[in-house]
Amino acid sequence: MLRFILNRLGQSVVLMLIVTMITFFLINLAPGGPTGAMRMEASPEERQAIIERLGLDQPVIVRYGQWLGDALQGDLGTSFNSSEPVIKRIFDRLPYTIELTVFTVIFSVTIGIIIGVISAIKRGRAQDHFINFSSVIGLSVPSFWLGLMFILLFSVELKWLPASGVGPRGEAFDLVTYLKHIIMPVIILSMTILPNIVRFTRSSMLEVISQNYIRTIRAKGAKEFIVLYIHALRNALIPVITVIGVLIPRLLSGAVITETIFGWTGIGSLIIEAANSRDYPLVMGITVVITLVVVLSNLVVDLVYSKVDPRVKNLA
Amino acid sequence: MKTKRWLFLIMLVVTIGMIAACGSNDGDGGEQAEQPSGETGTSEPTQGGSVSIPIVADPTFNPWHPSAYAESNVINRVIFDGLTKFGKDGLPAPNLAENWEISDDGLVWTFNLRDDVNWHDGEPFTAEDVAFTFNEIVLDPDLGANNASHFSQLDRVEVIDDYTVDFHLASPVAALPAYLSFNTEIIPEHIFAGEDPWDLTSFNKENPVGTGPFKLKEYVSGQRVVLERNDDYFDQVAYLDEIEYKVLADANTHVAQLLSGELDIFALDDTSAIERIENADDITIVGRETPRFFWLILNHNHEEFQDKRLSQAMLHAIDRQAIIDTVLQGYGTIADAGIAPILSEYYTTDVKRYDFDQDKARELLAELGYEDSNGDGFVEKDGERLTITFDVGIQGDLESIAQMIQQYLIQVGIDVQLETMDWNSMIDKVVIQRDYEMTLNWWRYPADPDLTAYMHSNSADGNNIPAFSNEELDKLLEAGAQANSVEERQQIYLEAQQVMAEELPYMFLWYPQEVQVRQSSLQGIPDLAFGDALYYTNEWYIEQ
Amino acid sequence: METPANIETAPEVEPVQQRKVTFWTSLHRNKIAMLAFWFLIVLHVIVFIGPLVWSYTPTEMTTTGPLANWSWAHPFGTDDLGRDVFARMLHGGRITLLVGLAAMLFSLLIGTIIGACAGFFGKVVESILMRVTEAMMAIPNFFFVLVALTVLGTSPMMVIIVIACSGWMEVARVVYGETLKWKEYEFVEAANAAGAKPLRILIKYIIPQVLPSIIVSGTLMIAWAILTESAISYLGLGIQPPTPTWGNMLQNAQQYLWTAPVLGILPGAAITLIVLAYNFLGDGLRDALDPKFVKK
Repeated sequence: MLRFILNRLGQSVVLMLIVTMITFFLINLAPGGPTGAMRMEASPEERQAIIERLGLDQPVIVRYGQWLGDALQGDLGTSFNSSEPVIKRIFDRLPYTIELTVFTVIFSVTIGIIIGVISAIKRGRAQDHFINFSSVIGLSVPSFWLGLMFILLFSVELKWLPASGVGPRGEAFDLVTYLKHIIMPVIILSMTILPNIVRFTRSSMLEVISQNYIRTIRAKGAKEFIVLYIHALRNALIPVITVIGVLIPRLLSGAVITETIFGWTGIGSLIIEAANSRDYPLVMGITVVITLVVVLSNLVVDLVYSKVDPRVKNLA
Repeated sequence: MKTKRWLFLIMLVVTIGMIAACGSNDGDGGEQAEQPSGETGTSEPTQGGSVSIPIVADPTFNPWHPSAYAESNVINRVIFDGLTKFGKDGLPAPNLAENWEISDDGLVWTFNLRDDVNWHDGEPFTAEDVAFTFNEIVLDPDLGANNASHFSQLDRVEVIDDYTVDFHLASPVAALPAYLSFNTEIIPEHIFAGEDPWDLTSFNKENPVGTGPFKLKEYVSGQRVVLERNDDYFDQVAYLDEIEYKVLADANTHVAQLLSGELDIFALDDTSAIERIENADDITIVGRETPRFFWLILNHNHEEFQDKRLSQAMLHAIDRQAIIDTVLQGYGTIADAGIAPILSEYYTTDVKRYDFDQDKARELLAELGYEDSNGDGFVEKDGERLTITFDVGIQGDLESIAQMIQQYLIQVGIDVQLETMDWNSMIDKVVIQRDYEMTLNWWRYPADPDLTAYMHSNSADGNNIPAFSNEELDKLLEAGAQANSVEERQQIYLEAQQVMAEELPYMFLWYPQEVQVRQSSLQGIPDLAFGDALYYTNEWYIEQ
Repeated sequence: METPANIETAPEVEPVQQRKVTFWTSLHRNKIAMLAFWFLIVLHVIVFIGPLVWSYTPTEMTTTGPLANWSWAHPFGTDDLGRDVFARMLHGGRITLLVGLAAMLFSLLIGTIIGACAGFFGKVVESILMRVTEAMMAIPNFFFVLVALTVLGTSPMMVIIVIACSGWMEVARVVYGETLKWKEYEFVEAANAAGAKPLRILIKYIIPQVLPSIIVSGTLMIAWAILTESAISYLGLGIQPPTPTWGNMLQNAQQYLWTAPVLGILPGAAITLIVLAYNFLGDGLRDALDPKFVKK
C-alpha cells in the first residue's frame, strides 16, 4: 500500500512538471506578449521599458528555471497586470469557483442518484429508456447555448432571475438574491456531470441489487423501499462518490464556460483574462492550482478505489 | 433604420394594443435622444444619494501604471486631479493649476497652482508633488509610464516656489495644457518617494490617496469599488454621498442592469441594445461628440500601397453612411480628416470628400492599372490580382465593420482577405511588428488638433502606424504645434485638414459619437462625453 | 476490460468477418441509432450540396437590410449585417462538420499511433507513451485548448490541431489495450517470427482488429469535437469571421439575444441535433460491436 501511494505521488510530481513545462513554453513562445496588453498608443520605448522590467528579455529556458525555483519554494510570482502576488489574485477569485462547484456537486449528486436509482429499478422499462435518452441529450446540448436559452427565458422573457453576476456580498448579502443569482449557473454546470452520475449510479445499483446479500435481505421480507434505499443504495454509493473525483477535470472545464456566460467572477473567468493579457505568471499560477486540484482528487480516488476495489491495486 | 424602427413599433402595437391608443411618442425613441440634458435641469441640486457605474475589470489606482486601462481611468480621474481638466467648452480648464502662461519662445510654461488643496490623508498638495510626478515617474524611461510619449518634448519640471512650477520643453508644444488634462493626474510625493511606483500595491491596489472630490471607501476585487465624498475637496464639495463602480465584464449585463435601475450612467459600447433602451421609461440616451476617429489604413511601407489613388478608390467604394447606420445605429458622422467635430474651433468640412461611388472607385483603380481583364470579378495588374490581407483585432464593433468593409471592397474587385485575431496578437503584429497590409482601428486623442503623433513622418516608429510621410503635412503639423494663438492655429489646421483629406494618411471613416445612457433622475451631468463628465462628479446630483 | 472468453473464441484467421454479421443486424435493430444515421446522411447532404444551390453567399450583404424577419427569399431572415442566415447556416454547418471530421481523423491518427506503438514495442516506449497519455488525461483539456488557442492563434488548421491534440488519449488507451491483447495471438507471433516488419504487422494484423473500437471512438469523437469547437467559438477563440461556423454565429448572436433571439436559437439547435445524432450513432455502434455493453 505504501509503495502504491509513493508510486502515485511520484507520478503526480512528474505530471505537474510536464504540465507546467508545456504551459510555460506554450504561452511564452506564442505571438503577442504582455506589452501587447498595453494601450495601443504606447511607444516602442514604453514597451521596451516594460519588457526589461518584467525580465522578458531573458531566454525562455532561464525564465522557466527561475519560475520553477520560485514555485518550488511556494512563490508563484507577481501578476504582470496588477503587480499583486499571483496567489492573492487567485485566492480573491477562488471562493466563487468553489461556491459554484460545491453547489453543483451537491445538486448533481442528489438529483443524479435519485434519477439513477429510478432508472435501475425500472430497468428496461419506459422510465429507464426515457432517462437514458435524456442523459444522451444532456451530454449533447452545448452548455453555453443552454445557458443563453435560460437567460432568454428566465431573465429576458419572464424576468425572474438576474442574467449575470454573483450578487451582492458582504453587508448587502441577502439569501434570496444570492440563490437567484446562483441557480442558473449551478444548473448549467450540472449538465456537464449529471448524465455521468446518472449512468454510473444506474450500473452501480444494478450490480449491487444482483448480489446475494440483497437477495437474502429481500427473502427475509424487508420492505422493498428499505431494501433499495437503505441497503442497496448505501453500497452503491461508494463508487458513485468516487466517480465525482474523476469528474473534477470536466467540472473545472465546464466552470470556465459557465462563469463566462453568467459573469461569475471565479477562476474560470480569471484564466481567460490572464490569457488575453498574456499575464504569464497568472496563467502559470492558475494552471498550477487547477492541476494540483485535479492531481490530488485523482490521488484520493485511487486510494479510495484501491480499498474498495482490489483490482486497482493490481494495476499499480 | 427608419423601417426597422417602424417594424418594431408595429410589433409593439400588436402585442400591447394599449400603446396604439395613447399613440404618441413611445415608439419614437429618437426624439428623446435629442433632448438636451444635464444642466438644463430646473430643480435645485439635492444632497445625498449614490451613483453606480460599470467597469469591465479590476482597476489600478494609479493613472501612470502601465496596466491602468479604461476601467482605471474612469476611477482615477475622480480620485485624483490633473493640473488641468477637460473644460465644458472643450478647451483645457483650470484644475490644480489656477492659470498658466507661456514664454515668448514657447519653451517654458509656468503653472500657478492652487494653495488650498489637501491630499485625502491631510497632507498639503504642493509644487513638489507635480515635479515628482513628472520628473521621477513620467520622465523615467525605465518605468514606461502610461502616455509618457505625450511628454517626449518635456525636459523637466522645475519648482519655482510651493505653488508655482515651470515646464521646460525641448521644442514648443502648444497642446501642453490639453495633454495635461488627459489621464495625467498628479500623485503624492510623500507616499511614492523612494518607492517603486508600480510595485507599491498598498497604494495602487488598496489605498490610493488623491486630491479629487471622492476618495476610496471600499474595494473588493472582481466585485466593486466604492468611493465616498471628500468633504475637504478644494472646489465645490460633491452632492452625492457615494459613487459605486461595479465590476461587470459583460456588456449585456450593463444593459440589463441599466434597465433594472441597478446602474446609473455609462457610455454604451453595444449599440445593438439602443432599441431596447429607447423603449424604457426614465432612461435618457444622448449622443456625445468625442475626439475620436475611426480609420482604415494601408501600410505605406509597401510600395504598391503608397499611391493615394488606391486609398481614394477604397473610400469611394465603401458606403460609410450604411456602416454608420447598421453598426453604429446612426451615432456617427462621416469623417473627412482627423479633427473631430468636438474640436469645433478647428473642425471643417471644407475639404475634399469621398462620396459612396463605386464607379468612381473602379475608375481610380483603372488609372492605377488595376482592371478586371479575365472576368473573375477581381481586378488585376500585369496578370496579378490585387489581393490585400486585412488584419483586424477583435474588440467592440471592429469585427462587424471589417466584414462590411471587406464586402464593399470585393464589390469593386479588390480581393480582401480578412484575418481577425485577438487584440493582443493584433497589437503585436500590427503595432509592434508593423507586419500588415491593411488594418482598421480608431484613435482617441487629447482635445487638441495636434495630430503630430499620428501622422508626422517622425512618428513612423510610434503612432504613425501607416508610416505615412508627406513634407507638406509635416510642416503644417510642426507649425501648428508651435503656434500660440487660436486664430493662427485655426488657419494652419484648416490647411492641414485639406492636405489630410487629399493625401489620406489614413482612410478617415467616421467620427463616432459616444452613446451616453443614464437614469433620467441623474442630473448635473455636463454636456460632455461620459469620460469627460467624470471631471465634474462634484456637480452630479439625483433629482428627487 | 477484456474477458477471457473473448480471447478463447477469437478465431485465428479472419476475426473481422464474423463480427460484421452480428454488427449490422444488431445496428439495424437499434432504431434510434438508425434514425440518427439517416438524419446525419441527410444533414451532410444538405450542408455539402446546399451551398452550391442556394443563391446567397454567407458573407454578402443583401439588399434586405439587417435583422429582417422570415421571408421566402430569406427563410431564416437576415443577421445584424443584413446577411442571409440560411446561407450562413449551410456554410457554417459545412465548416463545423469539416472541423469535427478533421479533428476526429487527426486525433484517431495520433491516438492509434501512440497506442499501437506503446502496446507493440513495450518496455521504455510503453511507459513513456502511456505516462504522457495519463498526464494529458489529467489536465482539464478545456484549459489546455483555451490557453493553446489564445496564444497560437485561431486559423481553422490550428483549431483542428488543438482539438485533436486534446482528445486522442482515449483512443490511445483503447488501441493500446487491443494491441496488447492481439499481440499474443499466434498469427501475429507467427508473422513476427517470419521476420515481418513491425509496421507491416501493425497495419496488416493489428489495425483491422482494433478498427471496430476505433470507429466507435471516432463517431463519439466527432460529437465531442463539434461541441468543443462551438464552445471555444463562444469564447471568441474558435474559427474567426468572416468564415461562418455555427459556433461563431452563436457567439455573434449573443449580442442580439434580446432583439433577435432567433439568431441564437438556430445555430444552437443545429449543434445540439448533430451532436445528439453522433452520440446516438456512436452508442448504437458500440452496442452493436460489443454485446457486453448492451444493457448490463
